[in-house]
Amino acid sequence: MSDKDRIRSLLKEAELYKKQSLLTQSKDKYLNVLQIIESSRQLGNREKLMDAVREKMRAVEEKLTEIDEAPEVPELSESQHNLIRKRFSFSKDKDKAAIEGAVALAKFGQYEQALEQFKKLLKQGVLPVVVAKNIITCLLSFSTAEAAVAQFGQWVSRESLSRPQLKQIRAFLNSTFEKKGIKAEIPKLDEAPAEGGKEDEEEDAVLDLSSISIQLESGPLKGETVEFDVTFQSGNSVSVIIPARRKDLLASVKTGMALSDIQCFSPIGFFRANGVLFGKTEIKDGPKQGDYLLEIAINADSP
Amino acid sequence: MANFNFKERVIECKIVYYGPGRCGKTTNLEYVFKAFKKTTSGDMVSIDTKGDRTLFFDFLPMGLGKIRGCDVMIQLYTVPGQQKYSSTRKMVLKGVDGVVFVADSLEVRRKANLLSLKDLQGNLKEQGHSIFKLPLIIQYNKRDLAEEGFPILPEDVLERDLNSKLKAPSFAASAVKGTGVWPTLKECMKLTLLELQKELKWAG
Ligand SMILES: Nc1nc2c(ncn2[C@@H]2O[C@H](COP(=O)(O)OP(=O)(O)OP(=O)(O)O)[C@@H](O)[C@H]2O)c(=O)[nH]1
Ligand SMILES: [Mg+2]
Repeated sequence: MSDKDRIRSLLKEAELYKKQSLLTQSKDKYLNVLQIIESSRQLGNREKLMDAVREKMRAVEEKLTEIDEAPEVPELSESQHNLIRKRFSFSKDKDKAAIEGAVALAKFGQYEQALEQFKKLLKQGVLPVVVAKNIITCLLSFSTAEAAVAQFGQWVSRESLSRPQLKQIRAFLNSTFEKKGIKAEIPKLDEAPAEGGKEDEEEDAVLDLSSISIQLESGPLKGETVEFDVTFQSGNSVSVIIPARRKDLLASVKTGMALSDIQCFSPIGFFRANGVLFGKTEIKDGPKQGDYLLEIAINADSP
Repeated sequence: MANFNFKERVIECKIVYYGPGRCGKTTNLEYVFKAFKKTTSGDMVSIDTKGDRTLFFDFLPMGLGKIRGCDVMIQLYTVPGQQKYSSTRKMVLKGVDGVVFVADSLEVRRKANLLSLKDLQGNLKEQGHSIFKLPLIIQYNKRDLAEEGFPILPEDVLERDLNSKLKAPSFAASAVKGTGVWPTLKECMKLTLLELQKELKWAG
């Protein structure tokens, strides 16, 4: 092939890749062309040719920077928000699904809409501590530490949350600030009205977990990490399911087994803990017949 | 996991189009939306950037009629192929019942195909699925480019690269022209529904 033909075909490729937004590939082809022109003995007018190719390449480079600098989070319509809420929540439980939907909004960077949903849920009294923590996380993501503190101050001065709940939320705010190196004064609880809110609402010290992964320490899968969706959670214990066909996995877990490394994924982040497997039972009927239900107690205070 | 709602007699399942950036996932869905309007049950929703790259996902709901008296709804999704959107891919993959892996036939995308398939395998594993067991179809897209003399990989090379271990059903396609799009999807729906029926067996 003559240099001219090679150049012609490379330019055609470069144009195609540009059109398909395969920009790095397009740029590579232009670079190839430049090399050929530079070292060619057959071609006349080389400087002019190279200028023309460089010009084309510059257009590709501009597109590349444009993409790098484009905002990562687009503005979405209300129906898109609703779609995300509906399609990215998986729990059968209505309240949990609502929280998951709002968390999905946050995960897609739609913090303001997530916040709106969480506030609604808090008003409805749905898992107040979990929801309040999510509100704090949202505020810290798209607003300021001051806004988070102000929000907490509002909860303290109103009567919608109980003292134990406020205590949990304050501890969360405190540890989040510590982790992020934020110095801010968090309202003290002494100023809260003594009798406010529903006192003894049952709520988890452990966050609402969506999945956990555990490292297996014995059996055929020794050393492997496996992830499970949490099918049910009550306080610090969670249930997960092992499908009947996972014989290898079933052989690797037994009741009483200590789990020294559990990764717990909650809607608002993840943490590591240890725990104990305290139940392993076969499911006798229903769609999951033959599968096994594992019950795991998670020690949330573990280092 | 498919969602059975026996009270309302609805079964919902989820098929995800996976593959490297710019391989033609969105184009597949656009074609389905355009050409099979009758089977779709709502509008296609795309959340993308200015450059037409998928940023979050595309979504297209379809209705497949009834199985055992239940309405079968299938939701099609695409993931963003660009490497940096890894966490979004994981989110979109959640609850998946079947996957169409769209490979780019362009020679320059050979490595990108491999990386994306590996990424799929890892993400499925994280969610407790095995790429060998989940209903999976592979599509070799952009075959039309051969006609214009562009360097594309022969099908047997793609097959060897991507499918020698998986042995998944595979289809050649040109999503812009629409060839191969429906056979790919049809086969994926077939496998997904077969799997579903296994799960449904207990119901009689
Ligand atoms: N010639 C040709 N071009 C195609 C084909 N399929 C897609 N394209 C083009 O390839 C480019 C990318 O297509 P998309 O459908 O946006 O690719 P994608 O996989 O959704 O890309 P991401 O959203 O970035 O992951 C577009 O310019 C399409 O027109 C095909 O079969 N033949
Ligand atoms: Mg796309």
